[in-house]
Amino acid sequence: MSTATAQLPKELQPLELIEGKVTVGSLDDQVLQFPDRRPPKAWFIALGVTLTALIIGVFCMGYTLYYGIGTWGNNRPVAWGFGIINFVFWVGIGHAGTLISAILFLFRARWRNAIARFSEAMTIFAVMCAGIFPVLHTGRPWFAYWLFPYPNERALWVNFRSPLVWDVFAVSTYFSVSLVFWYLGLVPDFASMRDRTKEGIRKSIYSVLSLGWRGAASHWVHYEKAYLLLAGLATGLVISVHSVVSFDFATSLVPGWHMTIFPPYFVAGAIFAGFAMVVIVLTVVRKTMNLANLITDNHLDTMNKLILAMSCIMGYAYFMEGGTAWYSANPYIQHTFKNYVSGFYGWAGITTITCNVLIPQLFWFRRVRRSIPAMIFVSLAVTLGMWMERFVIIVISLSQDYLPTAWHKYMPTKIDFGILLGSFGLFFTLVLLFARVLPVIATTEMKASLPGAQAGHGGGHE
Amino acid sequence: MSSQSPSQSPGATFAVLGLFSDPQKILDAAKQVRPKRLGRLEAYTPYPVHGLDKAVGIPPSKLGRLVLAMGLLGASLALLFEGWTSAIDYPLMTSGKALFSWQAFVPVMFEVTVLFATFTAGLAMLFAFNKLPFFGHPVLHTKVIKDITRDKLALSIEAADASFDTEAARQALLDGGAETVEVVPVPAWNRPLTLNGLLLTIAGIVAACVVSGAGLYALEKLIPVIPPYVHMEDQPKLNAFRSSTFFADGRGMRMAVEGTVARGHLPPAFKTPEEAGAMLTNPLPLTDKLAERGRKVFNDHCAICHGRVGDGVPLLSRAYGAKPANLLSKELAARPDGYIYGVIMKGKNAMPSYAPDLDENDRWAAVHYVRILQRSQNAKDEDLP
Repeated sequence: MSTATAQLPKELQPLELIEGKVTVGSLDDQVLQFPDRRPPKAWFIALGVTLTALIIGVFCMGYTLYYGIGTWGNNRPVAWGFGIINFVFWVGIGHAGTLISAILFLFRARWRNAIARFSEAMTIFAVMCAGIFPVLHTGRPWFAYWLFPYPNERALWVNFRSPLVWDVFAVSTYFSVSLVFWYLGLVPDFASMRDRTKEGIRKSIYSVLSLGWRGAASHWVHYEKAYLLLAGLATGLVISVHSVVSFDFATSLVPGWHMTIFPPYFVAGAIFAGFAMVVIVLTVVRKTMNLANLITDNHLDTMNKLILAMSCIMGYAYFMEGGTAWYSANPYIQHTFKNYVSGFYGWAGITTITCNVLIPQLFWFRRVRRSIPAMIFVSLAVTLGMWMERFVIIVISLSQDYLPTAWHKYMPTKIDFGILLGSFGLFFTLVLLFARVLPVIATTEMKASLPGAQAGHGGGHE
Repeated sequence: MSSQSPSQSPGATFAVLGLFSDPQKILDAAKQVRPKRLGRLEAYTPYPVHGLDKAVGIPPSKLGRLVLAMGLLGASLALLFEGWTSAIDYPLMTSGKALFSWQAFVPVMFEVTVLFATFTAGLAMLFAFNKLPFFGHPVLHTKVIKDITRDKLALSIEAADASFDTEAARQALLDGGAETVEVVPVPAWNRPLTLNGLLLTIAGIVAACVVSGAGLYALEKLIPVIPPYVHMEDQPKLNAFRSSTFFADGRGMRMAVEGTVARGHLPPAFKTPEEAGAMLTNPLPLTDKLAERGRKVFNDHCAICHGRVGDGVPLLSRAYGAKPANLLSKELAARPDGYIYGVIMKGKNAMPSYAPDLDENDRWAAVHYVRILQRSQNAKDEDLP
């Protein structure tokens, strides 16, 4: 810590991000020793649970493929149903990872270093889960490649003015960029793993994945530049991907969808839901993998503050939706907004507001922000609330639009729920496997910012 | 890369490595060693040490310019592609907007820009700038690599040519404060790809393709795969020309009742074109619309043999043996309309009947057009208006 910050009052000083003494070498020993340890019993139990959920999901997907999309609850006028609710939900979960790895990197928020790797992994897994739904929802997934513009015997091209095509580009770009970003960060860590693993198949795998990385200064010059550029590029994606997802709604004329507030509202909601998921997973990981000295209460506290800020933005967005309905003087929009909180699906809207706006207000209290059970409770509430929000937007708006004769209620089927469960199973299975085979903390980034790791000044850089 | 230069024989010194623990000390050592010009300076560190690249004399990265260029290329390619598909190759009107409505192309342009730039930044950095993957680098086979990727910082003086003085380099590093010094020899094998390796890789890929293809073929023969969505692909309806056990004749489709006559296809009363010439006159008055119809019928059905202007020069190759009639001949010009109509119905010589393809109006329109051709191809001065 330099002298300039030492004179600041206590509240304004940078948070302590490491508990106890951690050196460059001890960090490796702590974070990278996982392959030498047998995983605890709880890990196997957790894997059993998530694999069961995954198998149920795979069965339901197979059932859908065999019997067709009629096994889902979708029907006119609610043609989007669970397929799109879950897609938007999972894509949103991914956004926290990109925010942490890209935007917070550009802002030089040092606390991100310890959690960046895990949240990036969660981004990739969440986008994988998200991808399942629209592909199945196309009805004939074996023609999913028709979504891409390629020269074909039908002499047709996709309609580049359609937000659904933008969506295909946005989500596939998002996935590829996240993957490249993630892998780039992993390369030096793979090299560390390679050199601390004894001869054998595991060493060969890490060797190949490390691409022969040797930490040359002439390589680091390009590496750091590439990382900075990728952070800048991914920053645009944090904002653009969920904005494009919101265009699917906002460019249509359905009452309750046709609003200019949708893009920022969706982006804030995505970051909100993503942070809640990161908090849930990290509290478990830091306990079971003994990383509490690296992922400290201060980290969780900071994330909880972000959740609180996002919750206030969500409250504002809900309020503005009501304001738009009122100011539009349009009876259809007003009717839809009334339906959000009353009527057949009113409970969904009430749950959304309670979970997303009211419960996170607990985070105004420092004690709640630093209590593990309390933050897990709030984060679970936010996860539920954000799923409900997409249910409200899609189902309530579609079930009663301009033509009362076409109104129809939507009821999901067991298969719908099975696939949703399966997506959670897939996500957590991948998270569990990831924690076993790859370093869960970006050791290279941590090392570079440890005290004494850089010349000239005592404190870490960045 | 010096390690790949063939002049270095195995066993010669590749580099001398000095190990440090303190980032400040390695910076100082680099500044001290650099002016001695003992060889190429390089450093190997577990994490980027700021200032070390400058201290060992590495220029700043030019990656940014390449990424900018590729990003702009992505943006322009996306815009051109979207414009070409939406406005030129398959003009598609959406919501009454202009065909080249660039505003709607911006989201995809943005995504493609990011995609190009990202892959350039990531892959060009690894593969082009850093020349990875490279598993044969001598430093990877040292004892100290374990420490380098963990917590030690190594300063390396690398041999530029045969005149490299190993002992001087060693002493310079020790003077600079290195904790330990290791001499790294050139390994016997240090190329990332050999011809043998390349051939083996290709052979491996080919073998994998053959095995998996044969395996899939065998599997499909052994296990009948259930086609997905059987309930949508196999519908209980009958397509034309499908067989069916439902009807006695075994056909899926029903035939027309005996004696059914389609509109415009009344059976003719004449037997030969000559009879038709005597019996029939053109019932349709010549109008612009009918002439246009006649041209279409003629070009679709007649021009292939009789030529676009009816001069009997076929559009087909000379290998086609028959000699189509010259419709512009005096003999045909003298024939009545009914005769031409009769030929269309009954055919003549190699010409088959066109009765099933053309209805009554089309046939008479074609007769009008033949007359138009006869007059226009042998036009006289008084035909001019």
